[in-house]
Amino acid sequence: MNDKPRILVVDDEPQLTRVLRTGLKSRGYDVRVAADGLAGFETFSDWHPELVITDLAMPNMDGLELCRRLRTISQVPIIILSAKGEEKIKVEALDIGADDFVTKPFGIDELLARVRASLRRASSRNSNETTQTALELGDFHVDLESRNVTVRGREIRLTPKEFDLLIYFINHSGKVLTHHTLLAAVWGGDYVEQDQYLRVFVGNLRKKLETNPASPRYILTEPWVGYRFSPNE
Amino acid sequence: MEPVNLRWAGYVGAIFGTAFVTASLAPFHEQINSTTVALAFLLVVLFVALFWGSRPALLASVLGVFCLNFFFLPPLYTLSIAHPQNWVALTAFFTTALAVGQLSARAKRRAEEAEEGRREIERLYQELQAVFERASQAEALRQSERLKSALLDAVTHDLRTPLTSIKASITTLLDEVRGRSQEEQLVTLDSESRLEMMEVIDEESDRLNRFIGGLIELARIEAGELRLSRRWGTVDEIISTALARAEPFKEGREVEVDIETELPVVSVDERAVSEVVYTLVDNAAKYSAVGTSIRISAQRADDGMIMMAVEDKGDGIAVDLRERVFDKFFRATRDGDISTHQPSGTGMGLAIAKGIVEAHGGKIWIDSGAGGRGTRVVFTLPIGDEEITEQPEHAAHVDY
Repeated sequence: MNDKPRILVVDDEPQLTRVLRTGLKSRGYDVRVAADGLAGFETFSDWHPELVITDLAMPNMDGLELCRRLRTISQVPIIILSAKGEEKIKVEALDIGADDFVTKPFGIDELLARVRASLRRASSRNSNETTQTALELGDFHVDLESRNVTVRGREIRLTPKEFDLLIYFINHSGKVLTHHTLLAAVWGGDYVEQDQYLRVFVGNLRKKLETNPASPRYILTEPWVGYRFSPNE
Repeated sequence: MEPVNLRWAGYVGAIFGTAFVTASLAPFHEQINSTTVALAFLLVVLFVALFWGSRPALLASVLGVFCLNFFFLPPLYTLSIAHPQNWVALTAFFTTALAVGQLSARAKRRAEEAEEGRREIERLYQELQAVFERASQAEALRQSERLKSALLDAVTHDLRTPLTSIKASITTLLDEVRGRSQEEQLVTLDSESRLEMMEVIDEESDRLNRFIGGLIELARIEAGELRLSRRWGTVDEIISTALARAEPFKEGREVEVDIETELPVVSVDERAVSEVVYTLVDNAAKYSAVGTSIRISAQRADDGMIMMAVEDKGDGIAVDLRERVFDKFFRATRDGDISTHQPSGTGMGLAIAKGIVEAHGGKIWIDSGAGGRGTRVVFTLPIGDEEITEQPEHAAHVDY
């Protein structure tokens, strides 16, 4: 057993899996590939990779179903390979629990950046399993007991909902969060269609956190999908 | 409701009608009896009622009673009546005139209402027809828009997939060449990996080129610009040309060729028909397991045709997909739940094959293979006659 991070690539395009296998191996990852969701799920169960990269449209079992099945047994980070025109299905996959996406055609560096961010997030999630009283991330310091938030050393006041939203962003930093996911997590299942709530609260948070709310650097908009929190680590 | 000026015309008509009858008959009041005069006034009432309705008819009745009494019933030029029987006659006239006026006006109104009803129904029908027409046009437009966007999706997917592999390979190679290291991860490519990346770029560029070639061929077929160069040739030759091309894709699959003895030479575009056979063999190899066999057969059919078939021992194609696989960009693997680990094609091969076969005047269809297993693609081609071979540049028009 070696200590290289294990990555499972699931795609029905053999040429692309060849490239990704070689590209990822050259960066020191241990890689296995599968040609469809079913084979991917089987490989996952046997091999327990630390990250899954999957295409969406595949025979036998598509990427969406693979995400759904993986989420029932594991919190492994999942990166989706999507194409322009697949926005709806991409959002659905993110809602189910996929962590990030890369739009085809992509350069290997873009994919690698997402791979590193996802692996880092997963490892920090594992080390944070114990009960915490404070969150320290990039420019942010949050005292969970007194609910004090400090950004760039300056204390800011947040309403309870703004605080909950920020904590959710910090706990899922770097991950693409769909409108649906954020609304369900912070407001509850009855509000998942109320995008306007989210817009108002994100707008307020930006005003309080960002140096220039018009061009935010912490809460980034992912067009048509949702938001991504970047704590400026 | 009648328009006001029409009602006024009715009253004027009633006055003039009564005046006319009075003026015409008064000079002869001694020669004609009062019954004739009463009937003449009754006629006026009738006409007025028919043309202008009940109110002008009522006026005509009143005027009729007045004129009958004043000008025709003794003592003349007074409103008094000498004989009691004339009272009876006058009352009978007035009652009859009223009844005739009301009845005929009502009949007229009914007729008008019926006419209006008919016109209303006609108008509604025309409106309905127009609405249906607009709805069906809109539906047709929506259908065609949907089709267009589905085709566009298919084309962009087929262009983007090889591009993705090319871009990922190139960026991997570039990173190494530029000596870039990311975080602690060193970019190291051994010569085998480097070769593999370049092979992928090479193969995917070929795939893009094939795809674009297919698009051009399809566009030609659809525009009716497929030009067939018919020449007399043998089926053996056509099949062996196709097999030579398909050799790299057979990958351990045995190909049996069974050509009927004494099969006549055929007048076809050999290059195009060989393309059809190649496409079918290539598909057979894609959708059947390694180690199974592919069978090509050719025999004489009825009506001056020959029939060729390519049969595999794969999973077969569901009956409801057998026509759709000839639609351009339709793929049984992607759109029809057929599983395979082979790379999928361009979704154009069978559409082009159909175009070529139909341009020759033949037909193409799909059956199950022997014993109900696998796929058997069959096509027919006319053997041809001297007349056609004299026009080698015969332009075929394919209607889709």
